[in-house]
Amino acid sequence: MIYVLYIIVFVICVYTGRHYYFTLNRLFGFQRHPYIDIDTADWPPVTVLVAAHNEEKVIAHILEALMTVKYPADKMLVIPVNDRSTDGTREIIDKFVEEFPGRIQAFHRAGGKGGKAAALKDAMEMVTTEVILIFDADYIPGAGLIKQLVAPFFDIEVGGVMGRVVPMNAGTNLLTRLLDLERSGGYQVDQQARMNLRLVPQHGGTVAGVRLSALREIGGWNENSLTEDTDLTYRLLLNGWKTVYQNRSECYEEVPEVWPVRVKQIMRWAKGHNQAMVTYGVHLLVGKNRATLRERIDGTLLLGVYAMAPVTLIGWGLALAVFYQGVAPLHGVIALLSLTAYAAIGNLAAFFEIAAAARLDGTRKRICLLPFLILGFAVSIFSVSRAAAVQISDLVTGAEFHWDKTERFRKVL
Amino acid sequence: MNPYLAVAALVCMVSLMFVLPLIPTLMELRRKSDALPLSVVQQNAGEIRYFSDSFRSYIKGLEPIMQGCVAAGTTATGALPDGEEYVVLGRVDEPLVLVLQQRDATHLVMGADVDLTLPAEARFSKDIYAGGQFIGGVKNNFRAILGEKNVHLGASSRVLRWVHAVGEFTADLDCNLYGRISSDSLIQLRAGCSFRRLNAPRIEIGRVAVDPEASPPQPNLADGGTPHRFQHDGDFEVQAGQVIVGDILIRGKLYVHSGARIYGSVKSVEDAVIADGVAVEGSLISARRMRIGPHCTIHGPVIAERELAIATGTQCGTLEHPTTVSAPRIELEEGVAVFGTLWAREHGQVVAIA
Repeated sequence: MIYVLYIIVFVICVYTGRHYYFTLNRLFGFQRHPYIDIDTADWPPVTVLVAAHNEEKVIAHILEALMTVKYPADKMLVIPVNDRSTDGTREIIDKFVEEFPGRIQAFHRAGGKGGKAAALKDAMEMVTTEVILIFDADYIPGAGLIKQLVAPFFDIEVGGVMGRVVPMNAGTNLLTRLLDLERSGGYQVDQQARMNLRLVPQHGGTVAGVRLSALREIGGWNENSLTEDTDLTYRLLLNGWKTVYQNRSECYEEVPEVWPVRVKQIMRWAKGHNQAMVTYGVHLLVGKNRATLRERIDGTLLLGVYAMAPVTLIGWGLALAVFYQGVAPLHGVIALLSLTAYAAIGNLAAFFEIAAAARLDGTRKRICLLPFLILGFAVSIFSVSRAAAVQISDLVTGAEFHWDKTERFRKVL
Repeated sequence: MNPYLAVAALVCMVSLMFVLPLIPTLMELRRKSDALPLSVVQQNAGEIRYFSDSFRSYIKGLEPIMQGCVAAGTTATGALPDGEEYVVLGRVDEPLVLVLQQRDATHLVMGADVDLTLPAEARFSKDIYAGGQFIGGVKNNFRAILGEKNVHLGASSRVLRWVHAVGEFTADLDCNLYGRISSDSLIQLRAGCSFRRLNAPRIEIGRVAVDPEASPPQPNLADGGTPHRFQHDGDFEVQAGQVIVGDILIRGKLYVHSGARIYGSVKSVEDAVIADGVAVEGSLISARRMRIGPHCTIHGPVIAERELAIATGTQCGTLEHPTTVSAPRIELEEGVAVFGTLWAREHGQVVAIA
């Protein structure tokens, strides 16, 4: 028992060090934005896929925004991927198709397997361009975003591109404000540090792009994946394609405004991430593939991010157990170390990262909410642990994953 | 002391000590003073002409005054709606300009058809609008200039923020151009000039003889070629005169020898050296340093993540297919032509031909 605890404490310390390394790099290191200056070019044809499942509240906003972006109109085709919607999504899309003939082509999907990856896979029959951009329906791209996301594809090593997500309903309530802080830390520090250090920026599946030839080479969208974005990141990496992060390619999104929706969202992410960890973890770390050593290490740590929640809980329990059983040779030191390690990952390192992100964003007062992140952290650690337990239980019972769509909170136009 | 009171006091003290650090948190939660979404630029796509377009809109209200001054050959002064002072010139003579230089907080607005030749060492700390030709003197110092016709800067002049010329923009020897420089037709810089961000249909470094439609001859597919995406781990050399059809990705240093033609894009994850007379149909990217030329033709974007040096006679992009050349540090020899954008994130320098 004590050796398991030693291992857990060591792993937690590794993640703590990783958080500090990323934050310090972001604050003081060389910042890589190699493609952001490409503002003049012979822009390639691009297809923009907008994934939509019962999105009547938001779909019109993104289609309107896409029709006003600064990209040659004759080189951009928007395909709203209407995935079995039962609300007014279809009618709204058809209205836009009529209004913008040749610029928007609808893909209505009435049946088939559930999930975004399955819908995107089916929609690929309409895609002929080498560059594909993907947005979820609740996003609102700015005028220059399409060019910014296309620019990295001039680099033939780039297979995927990811932009920055910014919550537009940040001020709604405590939850949205906490998610706003979390997003800042995740993108402004975590993703950009990985870009700076040539590690593994993660493809987010929205405000994102993928190269058609790369996608074909890795076997297309994996409809069995619960998080097609994580799955795509690792298959691209294993096949020698880079995913790049563009911190200045920002796009508004809507974050969950109620806790149950947030819990469902993070549980789905956790299950998908864990699925990718099982599928690609060993192959990435020790298998024969095109990833560099630093990509192998960072990629493996990234795969383990959601597994750390149950591991931390187990470590916590073990620490208390060995303390009260008196089996620990170092007596209270182990318990103290475990609690400190827990505090470091939940309380200090990650929070330091978020505080640094808020500073880089030039915001001041929102840092005051940092202590409340312990609440978000507590919800996350138990939700993610529950997701892992359910996943293991489903594996045993053979239960199928049920796809939960993230609820929207905007008013219908 | 009453023990109950003591316990209550202790509880209160502890609670206070616990809550005290959270007071800013609770206040911010209640006041929502920093709860707006982060500012994401929705409409400005980072365009180089953003400031000049904004300035044009800003002084739009002065049009009638400008026309009146030009017609009467007079000068007008006043304040814009935000309180900024301005001077509108309907005619220009040297003593008047010398007076204007002393008025540090004044926008200088010159009406259409009024050409201006500035004396040496004139300094302007506010934006200038020029309706006619604008000819700067030696060692002038400007904040920003919007010129409706040609704008010429004298030797050793300095621009702190931006210049936009509807006509041609030319800078004489040793100018320092710190901000955004754009033209709707041509930018020409001479040796010794430093720059950051330039955009024009045609950018000439020194005197150049360019072919705006230059394009490498079409590949002879019968010669055979490389696979569509050729990857190589380690250093790699493209031989002199070799023709490659397809993209090449090199995970090491790249040397492209004289006269090679690549009908595709090129990426090197380390340094890249491109010898003379090389033609690249697509993009040319190095994750570190890159040296190009002389007399090369590159059609796609040229990116170096650390440093880029381009030798004389090299041409990037064409009038029909403009492109971007970008690196933190760029050194260009006289004789280089770029069609589109030239962007040195930290420092760009024009050097005389060795």
